[in-house]
Amino acid sequence: MSEVILETRGLTKVFGGLVALDKVDLSTEAGKISAIIGPNGAGKTTLFNLITGVYPASEGEIYFRGTPLRNTPAHKRAELGIVRTFQQVHLFGNMTVLENVMTGQHPRSKYGFLEAALRLPKAHREEEAISLKAMKYLNLVGLGMHAEQDALSLPLGQQKLLAIARALATEPQLLLLDEPGAGLNTLEKQELSDLIRRIREAGTTVLLVEHDMPLVMGLAEWVTVLDSGQKIAEGTAAQIQRDQRVISAYLGEEVE
Amino acid sequence: MLAKIKSKWTYLAIAALLVFLILVPFDWFLGQYKGLAIFIGISTMVTVGLCLLMGYTGQVSLGQAAFYGLGAYFSAVLSKTYDVNPWLAMLIAAIATGGFAYVIGYPIFRLRGNYLAMATLGLGLIMWILFRQLSQFTGGPDGMAGIPYLSIGSFVFDTSFKRYFLVWFFCLAILLISQNIVQSRTGRALRAIHGSEAAAESIGINVAQFKVKIFVLSAVYASLAGSLFVHHLRFVSPQPFDFLASVKLVVMAVIGGLASVWGAIFGAGTTRILSDELLLSFGEWDIAIYGLILMLVMIFTPEGLFVKLKDVFGRLRLRHSERGAES
Repeated sequence: MSEVILETRGLTKVFGGLVALDKVDLSTEAGKISAIIGPNGAGKTTLFNLITGVYPASEGEIYFRGTPLRNTPAHKRAELGIVRTFQQVHLFGNMTVLENVMTGQHPRSKYGFLEAALRLPKAHREEEAISLKAMKYLNLVGLGMHAEQDALSLPLGQQKLLAIARALATEPQLLLLDEPGAGLNTLEKQELSDLIRRIREAGTTVLLVEHDMPLVMGLAEWVTVLDSGQKIAEGTAAQIQRDQRVISAYLGEEVE
Repeated sequence: MLAKIKSKWTYLAIAALLVFLILVPFDWFLGQYKGLAIFIGISTMVTVGLCLLMGYTGQVSLGQAAFYGLGAYFSAVLSKTYDVNPWLAMLIAAIATGGFAYVIGYPIFRLRGNYLAMATLGLGLIMWILFRQLSQFTGGPDGMAGIPYLSIGSFVFDTSFKRYFLVWFFCLAILLISQNIVQSRTGRALRAIHGSEAAAESIGINVAQFKVKIFVLSAVYASLAGSLFVHHLRFVSPQPFDFLASVKLVVMAVIGGLASVWGAIFGAGTTRILSDELLLSFGEWDIAIYGLILMLVMIFTPEGLFVKLKDVFGRLRLRHSERGAES
């Protein structure tokens, strides 16, 4: 078994009286594509929010490469290499396509207020490196020719690719994709699968939450199933498709 | 190609602006208005800070006049009452005002949501009352006179002509610094916060820290403007720092186009010309007119009048250059 990059132990989140996530143990291997599936309200996005530090866990702990994350604020987790995309895309609408990706380079560049204000050579050098790298990630997702457009002028499918490029620009070790396939047509989903494989081949671990079963089953090497906040199964795609609890909870009508 | 045309025109526009600004105070040009032009420069300094804060970062301050006033009173009291060198007083004022903004901003920005508008509204009202009530220091509602001029060695800024260049030197330096910040990693982080705080945080931007920093910077700009203001007039009273002043500053930023650093000159210019020249006969009614302007701009050109004019001009230019290319 290869190295575990992300692990949760007894992870629990309670909103008011509602248990959104109930003692979830999860373990993600480095260098693989893993997926979390489950019906609506299963706690998938809550899990992402806990991992990325949007809000604190009620109980349990999250470990990134063995280090507990409890006291690490969200922006620091991004610096460590845990970066996500959002179901609602959340692009920066007041920027161009390229600027969105350049902003993703934030944790990998250093120059600050003073260097910027006085336009010191350090700022200039870093800016050049930032825009070169941003172009590289834009080309990787196939949006290079749209660099100067306003981000929100892109159709939804390309907006989602742009969000992935922005996340990649942070040079993550663990990339969390929240419903990357939602709203995409068949061709776009095919391109998305190819892109996710290329990201994995470049050395980034991918963990995705996804509704689209064929997409997940074709892509993920390890699948965890959540239902009503609890983990009910995990295994390879083939194992999950045969699991009786999973079929009754969720897959029943959707797969075969 | 388009980007190149754009930058060529931008440089031309800035060069034209510089020539214009240099010529303004000469009597054969607009010399009779140099007093007004000094106030425009001072207001621009405060407005630029508001543009960074409101336009780029999306955080509304309804009490910017408090920082403007703090700069003014620190400079006035230190240099007049305590005989501190005016330049040193100006520096102390800027540091103290910035520190004060930090102390206020730090707890506010740790809360999610836009609480800054409320807090600064309260701050503006409190500071105005303090300027009036702490009369043993501030001279109370009547104000205090006899504040020294700024000087460099034996060169004293004792005429409006000299002070015009002093104020606009500071103003242009602040504009340039702000423009550099906007076009940097920091500027992108600020715009990202405006665009989506959740996404900004998710890619490693320390949202709370950037908000505090830009709030402090805007307070420092306002403080410097306040210092220049008292060394120009040699008099300070609470009236220019009341709630209406904060509202006017917001109007200036909005007319200038919130997300446009150079628009601040346009916004401050238009508003000051209105308030110091054109609206004088309206007396107390002028606030209603600012309210109306704010409403109209927000309804018809939420991106700001200056940005709108720039767009229209840009389109005309493009059409012109296309025609040029055809023939």
